Amino acid sequence: MKNLSVFYTTVVILTWILTVDSIAHDEVPGGPQKQPIALVGGTVHPVSGPAIENGTVLFDAGKISRIGKSVEVPKGTKIIDVSGKHVFPSLFEAHSQIGLIEIGAVRSTDDRREIGSFNPNVKAQIAVNPDSEVIPVTRSNGVLLALTTPSGSIVSGKSAVIQLDGWTYEDMTVKSVAAMNIIWPSVKSAIAYSPSGSPERRGRSSATGSESEGTDSIGQLKKLFNDARAYQAAIKAKSKTQKHDLRLESMIPVINGELPMMVTANDLQQIQSAVAFANEQKAKLIIFGGYDAPHCADLLKKHQVPVVVSAVYRLPRRRNEDYDTAFTLPAQLSQLGVRYCISGSDRSETWNARILPDHAATAVAYGLDQTEALKAITLYPAEILGVDDQVGSLEKGKDATLFVSDQSPLEITNQVELAFVQGRAVDLSDRHKRLYQKYQQKYRQKRELSK
Amino acid sequence: MPLGCSRLIVFVGLLFVFTGWTVSQDDRTTDHLEGLRENRPIDVVLMNADIIVRPGSLIKNGVIVIRSGMIQRVGDHTIPIPDDLKSIDLAGKTIYPGFIDAFSEQEVSTEAVEAGAAYWNANIRPQLAMADQYQIDDDLNSDLREQGITARLVAPAGGILKGTSCFVLTGQGNLQQSLLNANVAHHARLTVSRRSSRGGTRPAYPNSPMGAVALARQAIIDAKWYSQANRAAKADPLIPKPDTNDALEALQAVISQQSTVIFDTSNELYFLRADRFSREFGLKSILRGSGFEFRRLDAIAKTGRPILLPVNFPAAPNVTSYETALNVSLETLMEWDIAPENPARVAQAGIPFAFCSSGLSSPKDYLKNIRKAVQRGLSANDALSALTITPAQLLNVEKSVGTIAPGKMANLVITDGELFQSETKILETWVRGARFQTKKELSYTIDGDWELKTTDPNGKQLALQVTIEKKSGSLTVPQSRSKKAPQEAKQKKGGKNKTKPGSKDKSAPDDEVKFKKIGIVNARVSALFDSERFGVTGIAQLTFVFSDGNNDLATGYLTWPGGQRVAASIGRDQLDSAANDDQVTQPKIVKKPLSSEDSSQQKSMSSFSVNYPLGAFGVESLPQVETVFIHNVTIWTCGSAGIIQNGAVVLKNGKILAVGEKLDWPTSKETLIIDGKGMHLTPGIIDCHSHMASDGGINESGQAITSEVRIGDFINCNDINLYRQLAGGVTSSNILHGSANPIGGQNQVIKLRWGMLDEDLKFQQAPQGIKFALGENVKRSRDPDSTRYPRTRMGVQQIFMDQFRAAQGYQQQWKRWATSRTGLPPRRNLELEAIVEILEGKRWIHCHSYRQDEILALIRLLDGFDIRIGTFQHILEGYKVADEMKKHGAMGSAFADWWAYKFEVYDAIPYAGALMHDAGVVVSFNSDDRELARHLNHEAAKAVKYGGVPPEEALKFVTLNPAKQLRIEKYVGSIEKGKHADVVLWNGNPLSTLSRCEKTWVDGKRMFDREVDQTLRKKYAEMKRALVQKVLASGEEMNNAPGGRPLKAAEMWPNYDEFCKCKSVNLDK
Repeated sequence: MKNLSVFYTTVVILTWILTVDSIAHDEVPGGPQKQPIALVGGTVHPVSGPAIENGTVLFDAGKISRIGKSVEVPKGTKIIDVSGKHVFPSLFEAHSQIGLIEIGAVRSTDDRREIGSFNPNVKAQIAVNPDSEVIPVTRSNGVLLALTTPSGSIVSGKSAVIQLDGWTYEDMTVKSVAAMNIIWPSVKSAIAYSPSGSPERRGRSSATGSESEGTDSIGQLKKLFNDARAYQAAIKAKSKTQKHDLRLESMIPVINGELPMMVTANDLQQIQSAVAFANEQKAKLIIFGGYDAPHCADLLKKHQVPVVVSAVYRLPRRRNEDYDTAFTLPAQLSQLGVRYCISGSDRSETWNARILPDHAATAVAYGLDQTEALKAITLYPAEILGVDDQVGSLEKGKDATLFVSDQSPLEITNQVELAFVQGRAVDLSDRHKRLYQKYQQKYRQKRELSK
Repeated sequence: MPLGCSRLIVFVGLLFVFTGWTVSQDDRTTDHLEGLRENRPIDVVLMNADIIVRPGSLIKNGVIVIRSGMIQRVGDHTIPIPDDLKSIDLAGKTIYPGFIDAFSEQEVSTEAVEAGAAYWNANIRPQLAMADQYQIDDDLNSDLREQGITARLVAPAGGILKGTSCFVLTGQGNLQQSLLNANVAHHARLTVSRRSSRGGTRPAYPNSPMGAVALARQAIIDAKWYSQANRAAKADPLIPKPDTNDALEALQAVISQQSTVIFDTSNELYFLRADRFSREFGLKSILRGSGFEFRRLDAIAKTGRPILLPVNFPAAPNVTSYETALNVSLETLMEWDIAPENPARVAQAGIPFAFCSSGLSSPKDYLKNIRKAVQRGLSANDALSALTITPAQLLNVEKSVGTIAPGKMANLVITDGELFQSETKILETWVRGARFQTKKELSYTIDGDWELKTTDPNGKQLALQVTIEKKSGSLTVPQSRSKKAPQEAKQKKGGKNKTKPGSKDKSAPDDEVKFKKIGIVNARVSALFDSERFGVTGIAQLTFVFSDGNNDLATGYLTWPGGQRVAASIGRDQLDSAANDDQVTQPKIVKKPLSSEDSSQQKSMSSFSVNYPLGAFGVESLPQVETVFIHNVTIWTCGSAGIIQNGAVVLKNGKILAVGEKLDWPTSKETLIIDGKGMHLTPGIIDCHSHMASDGGINESGQAITSEVRIGDFINCNDINLYRQLAGGVTSSNILHGSANPIGGQNQVIKLRWGMLDEDLKFQQAPQGIKFALGENVKRSRDPDSTRYPRTRMGVQQIFMDQFRAAQGYQQQWKRWATSRTGLPPRRNLELEAIVEILEGKRWIHCHSYRQDEILALIRLLDGFDIRIGTFQHILEGYKVADEMKKHGAMGSAFADWWAYKFEVYDAIPYAGALMHDAGVVVSFNSDDRELARHLNHEAAKAVKYGGVPPEEALKFVTLNPAKQLRIEKYVGSIEKGKHADVVLWNGNPLSTLSRCEKTWVDGKRMFDREVDQTLRKKYAEMKRALVQKVLASGEEMNNAPGGRPLKAAEMWPNYDEFCKCKSVNLDK
């Protein structure tokens, strides 16, 4: 019952902060921060540094202005007492399709995959539906930041870093283009129907990505890169004959090493192949998936390739592997000195991105340090996706995108009680809470009737 | 005259005994003859050979008399030999009985079957006779004969009750001459061909192994009914005769045990399933094995069923690189390592077995692989038995084939040595007296030393030494050799191989004559040399031909310059075999090194013993029931004692002996004492919705109602997910049929008894259940072209109504029959029987459900039939009708927080568990997923997070509550005295994501222990490393097939519900 009361407290606090009437249906995006806000008395977890007991976080105009044990609060500051609570920077899901899909099996709600195998030109940012029911559900658990990406084709398109509150996709944009998302060709055969799910069966040709069908797709990828170079040269030379090509145009930041490619690769041979390719093309690389990354840690370190672990809740890929291979993956990468962060994407699809902290916590149960685990779902994704100047930790000058919780989000039973996106108070209601309240009414009515 | 007289007597005697044998070939046929008669002498005497008349029985220097293709007489050289017969001298050769290939298949047409009075399902076609369709393939027969195969069983391919096989000879000739037995056995396989990919075209019922067994079961039952019904109709003219049915007619021989049934099996579990099926119906059966019998040899031996054993040993897995080796499992490596020993182990277990070529891509590997089996421990006698007499006995053809004995067919194999030595060649194969000489594969490597015997131009005997290397060589006159210093000879002997032909020049230049030219054409070798050394000027021509099927011996002639042509023979130089002969100069050319094979034999045996199941984390011996005393531990009893801080528990004899706050237990060697400081003990987790550990297909989607299908027929005890889930504290699991049909198959509750056999996993006390499903999956929402009824929720409700009414009618029919016993006896219908069991409260419904309307509609419908539902599964909108559920007595087994993956779950909320719980519904959280099942404690914690269910109650969502839902709460689900010792030790609060499962006991057996696991993983990694090295060292060709290795039987079918697009089904994304 304690938790229930916490929930009600949350609702009460929210009503007070929002100064809007509680709305029965869609949640209302928060208005711009009008006055400085200080969260006082809680344990502050900047993540970039040690926790501050009984600390204060002061933010104004959407940015954190002060943080520490004794912080002077300017006049006109709204002071919120969060004693006994914890303040964290937003959790950051480094891979999702939030806003691009509503209901998995309903095709008309699905905007994840464009026609064709090569879609470098499509941008996730502009197809994010701010009214998606998934958004409030996700942020209710402290996940206020996410990468959202097109998916399904070899070059799936450009992903964006979004914050999960705003009236329009522009309001929600943190970084309009964060990465070029690519599914490494052999992955296609890897996700083909294979009840065993075992890479053993797939044999050499499909697993290497460098032979048979792999050759074709990687060859095509290579051609795309080379054509983009030629296209860039032609444009630079102000060629009169070169007509426009949206796809090649979109590849220019990638070939120039300005925009990282985020490559889905789990098998060792895929990862090796992707690293070799990126080096040859002088492109920046982020590995997404990374199941076999510990097997090529040296290679990844040498070329400074970070790994977005696509889920901790994963089965071993091979029958003889340790049952906790995926559980220990973050701890292994941490020990080996490979840059990484934790995503829950492989398990949560899009609609359950809220369980991100459970992935990190499970990694802790299997050897990862707790503070590392928190970084792996806050600061590290921000660094890997190039938005750490803005988000990822509680530091002066960064966005006030943070939440207050009754305990660490690494405890599954934690309750998020307050959340801010760039200083805007977030309505923590969501479809699930609304339905919960609605049907509590039903049983309340029945009880009253029976009395 | 006495001599002739005695011969005559013998001859007469033979006539007396074997009168039938004087017939000529065309006396056997009724065919009309065109043109001239042909009467080539076919009767023959084989002489001077070593004859293995049957395994273990040798006649040295023996004789076989063959007339009309039949063996007339066998004996040693003293038996009288009819002088009217051609004789063949087989000195130095060995004769074996012709081999039998005990199982092969041929494609068949089912047209004729379908044109007749067929069974309703074309997979049941026992009336199909291979003999009617057998196609002689001359090329194949030739390949088979080269392997020594003289006769074989040919079975029809495809189907479930496949039809009857025939037994044919591999000789030339038409069907009439080849067909020995038109009906050897019935054939069956308890599976179907793999269905195409997800969402592809689905073949009609059955499209899963589960469905195949169910259909076969019904067909056998139908056959029994058919004979009963016919008897009844015969006895009483007023009773209508049942419809004629060719299939049921044909099955009479099966159910009366007149005919043997040969079952195909794809692995050791299918073997045990076929045995169980045979026992269920008292069938006389033989099982066509898989080569994987070694994986569960004891259980297989216990069945007592003979095996037709294939020898298609797995190819070496590709471990060329670190990367490819990473993808090869220890299981695959162990299979590669052990499989060639399978025949030896089967023999050692005392199981009767016969070899068959089944599964080999080419018959050319047949003998090679059997020799490999002999190298790997199978005795030559056992191997020969499995090629000859055992198949003859098993297939009931021993009167005509299988041994060399009078009255049997002259099916023979003639070799140049001991059959199972790798260099031994099959020289001839005789099929019904017809001689087939194996194509000479002699390589005529003439390099080395030879002795040439001939005569000089003057007629004087010559014995010359010939040395040949790479088409050049020389002749040495022998006298010269004696002059050589013994020391030098020794040196050469020790110095291994070939001295260069010219090297002898120095010691005896005059004695050596170089060949001018050496040529080899086919089996003829010709050479020229200067004959001056032999006292004639000119060039001598030497020719010899390897005509004896022996590349160590050739005969020919020598033409001296003067034109004298003299006989010559050449043989391998035997001199160096003479002991202590100092004259020996050159070592004999080393044949395939027999000796090295012998010494490597030890090395070539498998490296590791079989564990259960085979591969990583299998157990070598089953864990024993422990006496365990855990104290100082926080116990979540999930019973009336609540949470006991600082509690203690005693596990003994597989049960919970005591639980409480303060318990004393004597320290003894037998007791495992665990100080549980800081740790938590919970009941074993029970997963109320799982699809793991079943390899029968999960969905039989060929019909809308498949209540006859049983998950329990296909428990896969080899599934590694059992171990992985034990590591997450799961001890019992409800293995459900998928959600393809409104009425799916029967579920099976199991315990996660890792290492034990499929049948042992079954939770014996758990009552029977069945899967129902509602909503989008059963109405085939994702297939717009589906024409299957139903396509709406309205139709779903109606199909239930229809089925329950039908079951009531069926129930009545049997009740009437039980009292009256008049009329046509009712037919047992397994589909309706299962529904009747629901009506009678003996079978619980577990219904896949989402939306509140369909939930309510089912409740109302069941109320009408006075049925209480077992559980609603998923029940994501159960929170909207929790009061109605409560009223009906329905329990709910839900996902904690999955939603939005399809429209009917858009209103799914994580508070559902709490809402239903608060309404008094017994709620559990399940996995429906192999991965999620590994942390169901996290799911339980979500009931605390969403809706504030107290932690103690929340844990019951994955322990006591699922036990109640499966009606096994008397045995499991809580830590209370007398219950099964299924407990889990955690290193912290089980509802914390930061905690970990440390130890799991099932029935008091420690099935998972993280400490043990840590040592096991090192051990298995080391085993894998050793086997990778072994593959690399073996020099065997590695499997480079584009698709990787072939699918294992258990991999052919999904072990998840592919109709329930609940989660990403493939984690390898």
